[in-house]
Parts: sequence; C-alpha cells; structure tokens
Amino acid sequence: MKNSRFAMVFMLPFMAGSAAAHHSFAMFDQTRNVTIIGTVKEFHWTNPHVSLWIYATPKDGAAPELWTIELTSPGNLTRAGWTRHSVSPGDKVAVDIAPLRDGSHGGGFKKLILTDTHQVLTSDFLEKPGLP
Amino acid sequence: MRRLLTAMLVVAAWVPAVAAALPDWSGTWTPFISDQVKRIKTDPVPWTPAAAAQIAAMTAEEKAGNPRGLFVDCLPEGMPSWMLISHNALEFLFSPGRVTLLGESDGNRLRRIYTDGRAHAPDPDPSFHGESIGHWEGDTLVVDTVGVLPQAYIAVSEAVGLPNNGDLHVIERLHLAGPDTLDDDLTIIAPHVLTKPWKTTRIYYRQRSRKYQIVEGVCLEGSFTPGMDSHGNAIFVPVPQVNGNPKPP
Repeated sequence: MKNSRFAMVFMLPFMAGSAAAHHSFAMFDQTRNVTIIGTVKEFHWTNPHVSLWIYATPKDGAAPELWTIELTSPGNLTRAGWTRHSVSPGDKVAVDIAPLRDGSHGGGFKKLILTDTHQVLTSDFLEKPGLP
Repeated sequence: MRRLLTAMLVVAAWVPAVAAALPDWSGTWTPFISDQVKRIKTDPVPWTPAAAAQIAAMTAEEKAGNPRGLFVDCLPEGMPSWMLISHNALEFLFSPGRVTLLGESDGNRLRRIYTDGRAHAPDPDPSFHGESIGHWEGDTLVVDTVGVLPQAYIAVSEAVGLPNNGDLHVIERLHLAGPDTLDDDLTIIAPHVLTKPWKTTRIYYRQRSRKYQIVEGVCLEGSFTPGMDSHGNAIFVPVPQVNGNPKPP
C-alpha cells in the first residue's frame, strides 16, 4: 500500500474554489451558477490569472453588458488542455460562472462552451506525473 | 611519476562519477495541490494560541467570502509558503556547488541553494527566500534555510496565514519518492508563531511533455492590459484592480 498514492489519479475541480495562483477565489459565490451568453471582447493569457472579458447579450434587447471572468493561471490551464488561442475576441460563448458576491459583473470561471463549434472548455486537470 | 599519473587518473575518473551520482530531477514539477489542502488537516500547524485565534478569524472571513488574500500585492510568497501552497510549477537546475529552484510566478521566483560546503553567513541580509545551504545525503538534498524576512508568511492557503515574525528556520529533505514523484519533507521552526517545529510534506509530480515547460509569470502583468499610446507604441495600460482581480465593469 505504500506506493498506492502514486497510482491514484486526482481530478482537481477548480470550480471548488481553491484554484487561484495568486489569491483566494472566496469572493465568488461557489454555491451559485450564472450563465453569461455573449461575445468575447478580450482574452488575457497572463499570470497570475487568465481573464476573459465578455459582452453579455441581455434577452430584452438592452445594451450589452461587459463582464470580467477570472480563471486560473496559464500553466494550470495548459494542463487542462487550453492554449492562448483557445478563445479569441469575437467568439460567441456561453460561460458558467460563480458570480461575485457583491453582485457586480464579474465571476469565477466554471465552464465555457464555444457556441459555433460546441467545444466545451473547463479548467479541470488531472494531478499525476507524466501527463501527455 | 607513474604513481602520480595513476593518482591523477583515479581523480579524473572520480570527479565525473561524483557529478553523475546526483539524481535526475530534470523536467517540470507540478505541485499535488489537493494534497496540500489535505495535509493542513493531517499535519495540523502547531500555532501558538494567539496565532491560532488570528488564523480562526481569517478562516471565518474566507468562508464568509471576504478575502483580502495574502499575496494580492504581488510580493513573493517566499519561504516557506512557496513550497507549501503554490499552485504553480517549479524546476531544478544543478550546477557545481549549487542547486537552483526556478518557479513560475512572482516574476519567475527562484531559490539559490549552495551545496559547496559553505556555512551560513553570520548575519545574512533578510530576504523572502532566505539563505539556503544544502548538502546531499545520498539522493536526498538536505536544505537549511535561515535569514528569511519576518514578514514572509507561513501560509495555509492564499487567504489564510501569518507572518513568521522572525527567527524562522526551515529544514527540508527533498528526495524522489517514485520515478516521477518528489517529496519535500519540511520542518518549519518559527518560535514566534508556532509552539513546536511543524513537520509536513509537499509532493510534486514530474512532467516531461514540452507543453508543461515553465512559462514566464510576472505577477504584476495581471494588473495591466495591452494598449497603445498616441504614437502607436504597444504599451501596458493599468487595469483597475479589486482584491487582485480586474475590477468588474
């Protein structure tokens, strides 16, 4: 049993809130889910946190609202299969977030769907040696 | 003369043998993050009562969603927090008389560990990572670190932890625990906040795929966005921040 921990595979769900490289994600309400549907304005592939800026399209035809979404670090997203080209300005997306507790237009990343290709991106990655 | 030549040959053969005796720690090492979290429960920190009260208050604040965060100012995590809580990868460089740890954040953080037989300086200038002297015991690198700034945190998460408040002493035993698994067995001595040495282990997993090579990580870069000045030059423009995040629109 001594070596059992080397055989185990751990999936680290970053939506659980412990996933920052720099700060706690506790300002996001992990018990809630909000889906932002809209168009990517900017995607910043930088440490310590990747950020995603989205013009959300309100259902009632009102003016678009700008939201900022915080992700983990480029290194951790790379482990989850992302590159800096995974999301580009102009992409149509649906993003699930844990919203900021204070109600402002921001949140912690949970899941992204690229509407045109139906590709799903998450920040979950395996914790084990020798990843492909 | 022949005896001298023989002796020289023996030395010449011995030197590379010693160099080759160092273990292979190449590749990128990613922290076992879930285990970092688990070990706070299995290897509880022996905080003094006064420190424990502060930690309890900070933990309650974090649960309530009011994190200031320990590292949002982009100062280095330093020792021992880098080894304890980082979610970023690290790598080792071996050179004669020296092991260097390079990390992925804080403007590419680094630790210099001298293995050339020197002793600690009588009064090292305090720094975030301290003065580290190492030696090899077989395939285990034993590192003794002093001279750490009193402001450097002993962190249990990115939101909870206390400054060591001075006289910090960290002893580490770094060794392979499997072909691609490295353990850092830490003993943390912090007489102003701990009642006894805190012993815990942090685990790192080796990645050899090129996509895991360490990327530049400049903490303050997240406080800026690419922009352009009136001459058309590419510049960084500050982004208003709140608690280390871009301030929502």
